Amino acid sequence: MEDEEINRLILSNILEKEFDVLTAANGQEALEIARREYNRLSLILLDLLMPVMDGYTFLEEVKKEPGIKGIPVIVLTSEREAEVQSLNMGAADFIAKPYDAPEIILARIARVIQLYEDKNIITATQYDALTGLYNKEFFLKYATLFDQYYPDDEKEIMVINVNRFHVINAMEGREYGDKVLAAIGKSIKEHVTESMGVACRYNADIFYVYGKNEGHEEKLMQTICDALKPLLEDADERIRIGVYSGMDIGVDLSRSLDHAMLVCNGISDKYHRKIVYYNAQIQEKEHLEEKLMHDLDRALSEKQFKVFYQPKYAVQGDKPTLSSAEALVRWMHPELGMISPGKFIPLFEQNGMIGKVDRFVWKEAARQIADWRKRFGVTIPLSVNVSRVDVLNEELAGELRTIVDEAGVDAKNYYLELTESAYVDDQSHIVTMAQKLREAGFSIEMDDFGTGYSSLNMLTSLPFDVLKLDMVFVRNIHNDSKAYRLVEFVMDVARFLGVKVIAEGVEYLEQYEILKKLGCDVIQGYYFSKPVCAEEFERFIKE
Amino acid sequence: MTIDDLRNLGANVDEGVARCAGNATFYVMLVPKALEISRFETLDQCVKAKQFKEAFEAAHALKGVLGNLSLTPIYEPICEITELLRTEQDVPYEALLETIWAARNRFAEKI
Repeated sequence: MEDEEINRLILSNILEKEFDVLTAANGQEALEIARREYNRLSLILLDLLMPVMDGYTFLEEVKKEPGIKGIPVIVLTSEREAEVQSLNMGAADFIAKPYDAPEIILARIARVIQLYEDKNIITATQYDALTGLYNKEFFLKYATLFDQYYPDDEKEIMVINVNRFHVINAMEGREYGDKVLAAIGKSIKEHVTESMGVACRYNADIFYVYGKNEGHEEKLMQTICDALKPLLEDADERIRIGVYSGMDIGVDLSRSLDHAMLVCNGISDKYHRKIVYYNAQIQEKEHLEEKLMHDLDRALSEKQFKVFYQPKYAVQGDKPTLSSAEALVRWMHPELGMISPGKFIPLFEQNGMIGKVDRFVWKEAARQIADWRKRFGVTIPLSVNVSRVDVLNEELAGELRTIVDEAGVDAKNYYLELTESAYVDDQSHIVTMAQKLREAGFSIEMDDFGTGYSSLNMLTSLPFDVLKLDMVFVRNIHNDSKAYRLVEFVMDVARFLGVKVIAEGVEYLEQYEILKKLGCDVIQGYYFSKPVCAEEFERFIKE
Repeated sequence: MTIDDLRNLGANVDEGVARCAGNATFYVMLVPKALEISRFETLDQCVKAKQFKEAFEAAHALKGVLGNLSLTPIYEPICEITELLRTEQDVPYEALLETIWAARNRFAEKI
């Protein structure tokens, strides 16, 4: 832009050989063109002294325009002082008046365009477009640089996450979700600018902040929540921060990030505390879990897993009779002793390794039914647990059928326990799978009934043969009238659906008597026996 | 007006044509626009009325154009007056204005 027509013509004549040229006689006109054509502009040539809007004002205005501010500006001037001032105001370069030879002008323009394009490429690669924070690759690079600048300071890493972010996206739309993320990004950026840290958006709604361990997390939490208040009323409830600190962070940054991520993911809705620190106890648990995962294959090949059996008694006759048993796994670890299933089952369920353990139990239980039938002449039906991850396996019915067939066991004596919560996850899939399993001859027991969120309506559409009442309902049945009435209600539902009811976790005579009176068909629990090894279980068969 | 006329009057024609990417016709076409009497009159009137700010703007604009066309005999006194006007110096400008007019008119006669 240049108010002198002659200068405009000279410049256009030089530039037109290599570029499409748009001209303007003052800053205002140029701003309007730039707003319209910013996608096509590689460069702006700017005269400083112009009527209506001079070049300095234009430079100021451009800073406020998101579309235009990234376009490089070269100032045309004959004044030394103006050169410095315009460079300070954001100009990329200047061209002196009277103009240099055309080839010099073209070379300078080409160089500036190249520089800005390179810069834009770097910016696009380096930063997350939505939040302006680094992306994860550059974050790791800059975090390492940070360590080099501050080698003697203790560092901390924070993982920040929005709990149930997908719900915000689903309810309010992705655009709204992006606003939430941008607001978090802005707060984090302010924080790291002040605290000299490094931050990135790792993915979706997960952010990393790395810096000196100066106890900034409460303040950062407050800053984020304040910024989110206009968008999310329950921001305080949703933002979670997992923190890992220590001198060893830089040694293995990605491992430190895993630690912070682990504690962040562990913060549930129920926790009042939304900032959690990785500590020795968590570390110990993590080490144990790592060991268990590492040892699993060896444990299977060395037969460290043992199947225990807990008897189930039919109670509606004159006296209780052994009707079946539940096969339960135990791990006899050579170094750690007997490991509680509570320690390894949830872990293996999480990472999908449970399938291996389940298959071992399935085969062992089928073999055991056959063995007892051979030795005692009676068939003791056994129930085995089918984990959620197993249900996703399309071949499940065929696989189980092969197991019972190979052991020579009738599928009707082999019960499958599916947890209620699995029904909730993906109802249509599990309904199809349960139907396939029943068609293959197996009976389905809905395990842990009452702990999931099955609606009454859903119960009518689910294929199962037995409802297994969770022990939480049984626990207080003898001293809590509400618990009593709830069980009574479940019994009615079961009768309505035409399915049997098994109560588990029965410990006391009072509980047993109440359940029997209420019409419960089968009872399992310490009242009769804890889970015992196969040899010990044979005592019940003999009785 | 020809290239030779301009050269004979003292214009640095080679430099001016080079700036016009070697296009002499284009260069010669631009010169009359630079010599338009209104530009010089504005400068003259503002200086005489001691409107130094406006006078500076007019001089500065002329300086840019004449410099790009390398019309050296007019460009040099224009540079001199521009610097004086930049600091709004209240000095006798008559002689300088006369030099500017004389130089401008010598070129204008060839149009």
